[in-house]
Amino acid sequence: MKQFLHKYKYILISVCSFLFVLVVWQLVTDVFHMVSAVMLPSPTKILETFVYKLTGGTVPDGATLFQNIWSSLQIALGGYAVGVLIGVPLGVGMAWSRRFELFAKPLFDIIRPVPALAWIPLMILWLGIGYASKVGIIFFAAFISATVNSYAGIRRTTQVHLWVGKTFGATNRQLLFKVAIPTALPMIFTGLRLALGSAWVALVAAEMLAATKGLGYMIQMARLMGRPDVIIVGMLTIGFVGLLLNTILEKLQKRFVRGAKKDD
Amino acid sequence: MIDTTTKSRFSVKQLTVIYTIISLLSLLVVWELAARFTSASMFLPPASQVLASFCRSFVEPIGKHTMLVHIGVSLYRVAVAFFFATVTGIALGVGMGYSRLLEAILKPLFEFIRPIPPLAWIPLSILWFGLGDTGKFFIIFLGCFCFITVNTYDGAKNVDPELMGAARMLGANERQVFFKIVLPSSVPYIFAGLQIAVTAGWSAVVGAEMIQSNEGVGWMIVRGMNTGNTVQIMVGIVAIGIVGFVLANLTSALERRLCAWNEQKGM
Repeated sequence: MKQFLHKYKYILISVCSFLFVLVVWQLVTDVFHMVSAVMLPSPTKILETFVYKLTGGTVPDGATLFQNIWSSLQIALGGYAVGVLIGVPLGVGMAWSRRFELFAKPLFDIIRPVPALAWIPLMILWLGIGYASKVGIIFFAAFISATVNSYAGIRRTTQVHLWVGKTFGATNRQLLFKVAIPTALPMIFTGLRLALGSAWVALVAAEMLAATKGLGYMIQMARLMGRPDVIIVGMLTIGFVGLLLNTILEKLQKRFVRGAKKDD
Repeated sequence: MIDTTTKSRFSVKQLTVIYTIISLLSLLVVWELAARFTSASMFLPPASQVLASFCRSFVEPIGKHTMLVHIGVSLYRVAVAFFFATVTGIALGVGMGYSRLLEAILKPLFEFIRPIPPLAWIPLSILWFGLGDTGKFFIIFLGCFCFITVNTYDGAKNVDPELMGAARMLGANERQVFFKIVLPSSVPYIFAGLQIAVTAGWSAVVGAEMIQSNEGVGWMIVRGMNTGNTVQIMVGIVAIGIVGFVLANLTSALERRLCAWNEQKGM
């Protein structure tokens, strides 16, 4: 018993700390009513709402939790795909060809400091409030991380490796595909992960401003209806889905990219 | 590829300047021509008009204020929140990285909050703090805080154990180990965190102001959207981009200055 306690001491402390917060939260809300339910619902109420939304409840935003997740995911992954398909080749191209870099980098550098959210009004005005405008916004969010990291990855290629390749008669194309891109792959993957993170964040913002379904719309609607329990369920779902997407990409990276270190 | 021995009459620096001018000019020319002579003019105002009204916005007010006031309001919001985020983030990060007990207590709670994007807190912050500045400080605080904490924590975790062992062996007490070794060796990580946090904070203020505000750069672009004023949106985007650029470069210049031993390469 003593050994067991010693071994799992810190895990036990973690569990206790988490439970302690939940209990205090429950006490100040439902038991002693120190905080009004309009400001902060109790954990049990949140759980109740979560189960309700999960099992087909459509109040107050007109869709179940899964419908909202699905609609958000579709948009996020659509914009993400476009952003990556343009961003990665752009980054690789800028790092590989000097002439292309000289021309394209100034253009990229003037877009880069603009946060993706700032494109929302322009996109909505140009493309309406449907699928296209949100894909456009998420494109900007994903595209920048994808480009920056691919660029940095290719730039890390060791010169000696390129010289060896050249000495053995590799063509420029072989050098790119057999030496530079494999070297850059861990960083490209990091870029893909960062891009997915920013895509997900941008999506929530876009949905809060203009949408008719999705998780961002759900929490915005819940505020207008004065339903903090639904807001918190929405926030936790957004956080959880974001974490899940990141974990999936991390697993893929471990599986397919060799030589990736943790700090890359 | 990455060939620095280009045979050319110009130095690398001169080439960069020349190409930058060429590429930006061609962007402006294509934009101007498209806006003036094609059907794109329906939704795309000419570049010259955007530039002109950008310059005018410094003297003529947009809404109640001129451009500088809008930028000032947004920067003030970021600064206040950033200050609190830096203090709490560094304290929490170093604390969790140094003490296993603190880590065990606080990390699960932190990990629970971390994946939630700061903007997703907006509805709750409006319920809690109303529509005033406090709610915006809260959102921006959350946007900065997580990055600073995570980076500081990483820094404090990655302290060379040999250094700590050596110090202890030479008779340093825990306080000295903490202030003379753990804190200084986390500084580069802290700075990396601050740098990301400034950018994240700027992005968060734009988002927060877009959803609920009466002034600031985020308000400016959303107001442009609601009134169908594309020029005003573009002027706002230009201003947001310039300030974002300045903020990012200021922090990296500061980092180079203060942590000169930790030169990092990047884009």
